[in-house]
Amino acid sequence: MSALKFIPHILSWAIVVLVLLRGFSGQRPTVAIAGNVGFTVGAAGTFFLFGSLPVNTLFGTIRSALGVSFLLFWGSSVVAIYRSTDRGVTPTGERFLGTPLGAGICAALAGLLAGAVGACTLQGGSGTLVHLVFLVLAAAVLASGARHLERLLPDSFRVSPSGMLAGVVSLLLYSSSSILRLDLFSPLSMKVMKGIHDFVHQFMESVLVPDHLFIRPIAWKLIGLLFGKEVGFWGGMAIWFTPALLVLLAIQLQRPPSVAHIRQGAQRRKLLAAAIGRQRSLLVVPLLTVVILGGAAYRSSFPAVEYWDPKPIPVTASPSGEIFIPKKGEVDLEDGKLHKYLFKRGERQARFFVLMSPAGSFTVDLDACAICKPDGYGQAEGSVICYYCKTLIPLDTVGKPGGCNPVPVQFTEKADGIAIDGITLINSWTATVRATTGATEGGK
Amino acid sequence: MNRLFSAALPLISSRAVPPLVLSLFFVIYIGIAFFTDETLVTLMAFTRKSIILTALLALIPLNYLSRIVQETARHRRIRRIMSGRSADVMPELFDETVELPATTVFPELQGRLAAAEYKTRCTGNSLAAWRGTTNFPLRILFLTGTLCLFAGILVSLTTRSVHRQMVIEGEPLPTPHGIGGTISRITLAESSSSILRRTLTMELAPSPAGHGKRSFGIYPPSLYEGHFIYPRYLGLALFLRFSAPDLPEGYETPYTLNCYPPGKEDSVAVPGSPYKIVFSIPEPAAGSDPYQSYMADNKTLGFKLLKGKELLFTGSVPAGGGYERDGYRLSLPDVRRLVVTDFIGDYGLLLIWATALFYLLAGCCWLPLRLFFPRREMVFTSEHGVIKASSRAEGGARRHAGVFHEALDLVAERGLADRG
Repeated sequence: MSALKFIPHILSWAIVVLVLLRGFSGQRPTVAIAGNVGFTVGAAGTFFLFGSLPVNTLFGTIRSALGVSFLLFWGSSVVAIYRSTDRGVTPTGERFLGTPLGAGICAALAGLLAGAVGACTLQGGSGTLVHLVFLVLAAAVLASGARHLERLLPDSFRVSPSGMLAGVVSLLLYSSSSILRLDLFSPLSMKVMKGIHDFVHQFMESVLVPDHLFIRPIAWKLIGLLFGKEVGFWGGMAIWFTPALLVLLAIQLQRPPSVAHIRQGAQRRKLLAAAIGRQRSLLVVPLLTVVILGGAAYRSSFPAVEYWDPKPIPVTASPSGEIFIPKKGEVDLEDGKLHKYLFKRGERQARFFVLMSPAGSFTVDLDACAICKPDGYGQAEGSVICYYCKTLIPLDTVGKPGGCNPVPVQFTEKADGIAIDGITLINSWTATVRATTGATEGGK
Repeated sequence: MNRLFSAALPLISSRAVPPLVLSLFFVIYIGIAFFTDETLVTLMAFTRKSIILTALLALIPLNYLSRIVQETARHRRIRRIMSGRSADVMPELFDETVELPATTVFPELQGRLAAAEYKTRCTGNSLAAWRGTTNFPLRILFLTGTLCLFAGILVSLTTRSVHRQMVIEGEPLPTPHGIGGTISRITLAESSSSILRRTLTMELAPSPAGHGKRSFGIYPPSLYEGHFIYPRYLGLALFLRFSAPDLPEGYETPYTLNCYPPGKEDSVAVPGSPYKIVFSIPEPAAGSDPYQSYMADNKTLGFKLLKGKELLFTGSVPAGGGYERDGYRLSLPDVRRLVVTDFIGDYGLLLIWATALFYLLAGCCWLPLRLFFPRREMVFTSEHGVIKASSRAEGGARRHAGVFHEALDLVAERGLADRG
């Protein structure tokens, strides 16, 4: 089963090698060697660091590296579009990339990151040294196959520097999208949602837009759309795809060579046709990038992970208003799993969960956070996930207030169970839900 | 000084400045996001306090200003060349420039270009041909809009002041600089606007100092003594008297009540006693607007009287009237309408509103112009035995280049024929 997990990663790596070999067509041996060395070091380093570094630190570092590569992709696409629309801009740094050192560094870095992402599938006790060796060997074999395949490609198939970066980064993002804690798209959508919310709120305050009291409901609903999850998703999509589209546009906007000095029409047309052909071949990799990024966004939005999400168990309070949940009863509170409960009091109700953290302490929290609509939480390996904004919250931070963490509820731990004040619980739920649904449904 | 300016201008007017500055702010934004959820507000506060960040942000409007100057100068140079007033054809002004041996081909070339639907002008040793309309004015509108946007953000960030005041009917307008004229009336009414559902009007009575009657609405916000008047919430200002069996001397106080809309509660604690009075506006009759019920005429308030945590009784008390029970007496001799209002000192707003206007104008005209009437130009100047031919296009470049290249072929052909 572990071997199957490797397939998307080593396939992505093979295509990365293909793109790099064609992008650095003058430095093939250097790229092949540096890439494979990078992959091996990345995979082995990550595998062994799992034993010595906290898992969250390691995942955080790799995810940050992926984030930086995505920012680099953005920067390169903006430079590409500027260069294509302004003759005054001269390329810088491309000469270095053409040297063996430049090509080697790029290939090694890509390999390092691809290897680290691949090795992350070995985390959680499912990976052994044998699996690591298998991963490295399989990657090397496929990279070698990619090298042979690259030789078969026609010479007219070319990759621009920005196209090469687009291809490599998109494949790394695709590879990481299957690992919940490395995925970038869902956190990006959430950040965009919050960013847009902040920006719209601030903009409306800044330009003195009247409050909802004075605005027609239909107009307010339209404004309210900017506060929803969908805006985060589509905003995230825009940020996700824009660099690839900018690279495509930059290639499309490249000025054809000046042929005004040539006096034979046929020769002019031949030169222009050749330039257009070259331009079209440069479009291939960025077009594939759009498809790959689409795949990564899809895998992020519909992850192949099953969350632990038990049906809430109804509970009641004693005449004094205390809810008591025994540690060993219908459910075992000490099993490290999230256990959901539903408390009703008259017309009002509150949903909450009890969880024993990996450190062995209990936490009682609302099944809602202080920011999002109360869609609740599910539990995955080492974290809980907010269903609304897809934010992953490490288990050891559940119980701490702030951000998208579940809102903690005061409780008393007794020898045989957990006691919670029913009125406090109901009030906390009502206040939280009122605030979050108000914020996301158009409140300023 | 001139040399310094000449050296600085290309740097300041570089197209790389806005993306670089914005990228830097974006990176700071990301950095702040690691530490707080109030990322944008924190970034704004940093920018306001830091001279370096403010100066960096100021580079953007400066950049757009210099680009307006530069592009206007460039446009003027092209116009001078096209009109034949200048023979200084600089290649950087055009997409393509070539030199060919001189020949007397201009009349024939003029006919050929006219047949290709170009307008032509022949002035001595220069032939200019063009078609379509230049997008230069729209480009300037766009650049001016962007200049206004960033200048507005800069001014707003660095100079904005907000003073929240209670504007009470019958009381003087509490402006940040002191006291203004008296608010004679506050009205909330239905609006026929497609965006605003209600209008709120605060009428300012003529002042003895000679200022005439004014009224302040919701949008666009009115400007009064250098401040925009931004109504935020509605409320009540009341004067209450309360006495109880164990508080025979009574208690009276003016109070501003934030209990809008109906159903929302606000309370007045009686100091030195366990009493607390919780007020609310009663729900109006079904079908009527809860927001307007009070603003129209209904000034009866519901209340709950609490002694410590114990609820003594509930009731309602009309404005100008009172309520008495079991030795307790509550009266409201005066209840007035109130608007919680922000007085905003921010001239950057004017620039931001101007941006919307500039962008709207530029956006509406640019696309049809670019699609249907793009400007295409070529100019041939004969000097010192050489014809210098230049061409540029704002759209439809490929077809224009074809016409230009054929014109060059004709010039070259005639040149060969002339030389025999």
